[in-house]
This record gives sequence, C-alpha cells and structure tokens, in this order.
Amino acid sequence: MTLKRLITPPASVLWKAFFWTYERATWQYDLMVIAILAFVWITPPAWLGDPTAQGHGLIGWILTTLR
Amino acid sequence: MTFTGAIGAICLFPLRAIISLCVALRIHPNVLTFTGVVVNVLAAWALAVNRFMTAFVLMVVANIFDFIDGKVAKELRMESKFGGFWDSTLDRFSDLSLFTGLIWLYSRLGRHDYVLITTLTLIFSTMTSYTRARAESLIDKCKVGFMERPERIVLLMIGAFTNRMAAVLWVICVLSIFTVADRIYYTWRELNAAPDIERELTRQLTTPEYVKRVS
Repeated sequence: MTLKRLITPPASVLWKAFFWTYERATWQYDLMVIAILAFVWITPPAWLGDPTAQGHGLIGWILTTLR
Repeated sequence: MTFTGAIGAICLFPLRAIISLCVALRIHPNVLTFTGVVVNVLAAWALAVNRFMTAFVLMVVANIFDFIDGKVAKELRMESKFGGFWDSTLDRFSDLSLFTGLIWLYSRLGRHDYVLITTLTLIFSTMTSYTRARAESLIDKCKVGFMERPERIVLLMIGAFTNRMAAVLWVICVLSIFTVADRIYYTWRELNAAPDIERELTRQLTTPEYVKRVS
C-alpha cells in the first residue's frame, strides 16, 4: 500500500498541494498562484517580522481602519 | 485559457521581438546566458544594499536573457549539449548570487532570523535542482514539485517590486522543502516500481498453466 492511500480525503487536498504533479497553466496551478499571492500581499509584514517592508499589508490596513 | 496561461501569452509578445532582434544580430546563445548571470549579480548587489526596485528591474532584464537564450539557440540552430549544461550551471550562479545578496542585507540589518531563513531557502532551492538532475540520471523524468526555478524567480521579482521579501522567502523556503521531499519520494517510488514489474512478470511466466502452454 502506498503512503498516499493512507491519507484521509481532507488531507489529500493538502497532500496534492505540497506533493505537486500538475503542469503550469492548469486551474490547479492558478489556484496555487492565487493562494501564494494572497499570502504574500495580505499578510501584515509585522506578523512575519519583515525587516524591510513598509506599510501594514491588506489585513493590517483593515485592522487599523476598524480600530 | 487559465489566468497564468494568459499572463504567459501576454509576456510572450515583447519577448518574441527581442528574440527576433537577437537572431537578426546572430548573438551567440551562450553569450546571452552569460550576460544574464552578470545582470543577476548586479541585481544581487542591489538587494544587498536594500535597493529593491533597482533589483526588480535588473532581475527582469537578467531573466529576459535567461528566457530567450534557448529560443535563440533553436532559431539559429545552435542547440548543443554544452549549451544546456552551460545554461543550467550558470542558472545556479544566478540563484546563489540573489540569495547571497539577501543574506548580506539581513546580516547588515542584524536580522539573524532572516539570515537563517534565507540560508535555508538557498539550500533547498539548490537541492531542488540537484535532486532533479540526480534523479534523471537514474529514472526518465522527475518533474514533480511546485517550486521550480521560474516560480522562484517570479516570486523574488514580486518580493522586490512590492517590498514583501520576507513573505516571499517563507513561501520559497517551505515549498522548496516540499519539492525536494516530493522528488526524493517520487524517485524512490519509481526505482522500487521497476523490480515489482519484473517480479510480477517472472511470477506469471512460471505459473504451471503458462509452462504447460509453452512446453
């Protein structure tokens, strides 16, 4: 039995995301790119302790506006 | 057409004009590859001195050279095994120089945490290329894992352009670790699948029914 078959269905989505076999320019690739860009642009730089970034990022901006 | 496919198609328009110009001028593809590395080293310097926008522009220029060298070689009928070797070897220099620039920057800023993250990213980016090259000396193909060189370079460009390098480094580092693991697992599986087929074939060829039929 392969390791992959031991993995439960919800975890298989994560498995497929990390153990990637899809080609470029497929919808799965698009989804991964969107997820990465969202992480890069939305995460407040302070959360990651970014040494060079300026501004608060999208989440930081929303939180500041709501306060 | 997918979103990333559309972006690729749009970017191809200006690149075609540059390829045609290089073909008309009969510039040797190996010279284009070398020029790309030199420009990438300049981009690394820009990263090291915290000039991210300059680094972004230089990375774009360097990667135009990197992208077109193979296409120019094809059009000029100058494709060679050495050209492929030269290209992939110099690509490693480009990758290493960019990460070294960032290590220099974070070290100057006294951020040892990001020196470590960038070093890990450098190690796993190099291992991503190494695992594929080594695997393909044993099996036919090992093109698995998301974080390959084009993804890495585009992410570094995005990080420089939008000044979000820390997030980009985290993404490259984590996904490179998974890509290396993916390639090791895939190679192990491929190498262990072959004896299974041989074993099954031997088992079938030695069944009493088969032996009776052929004798």
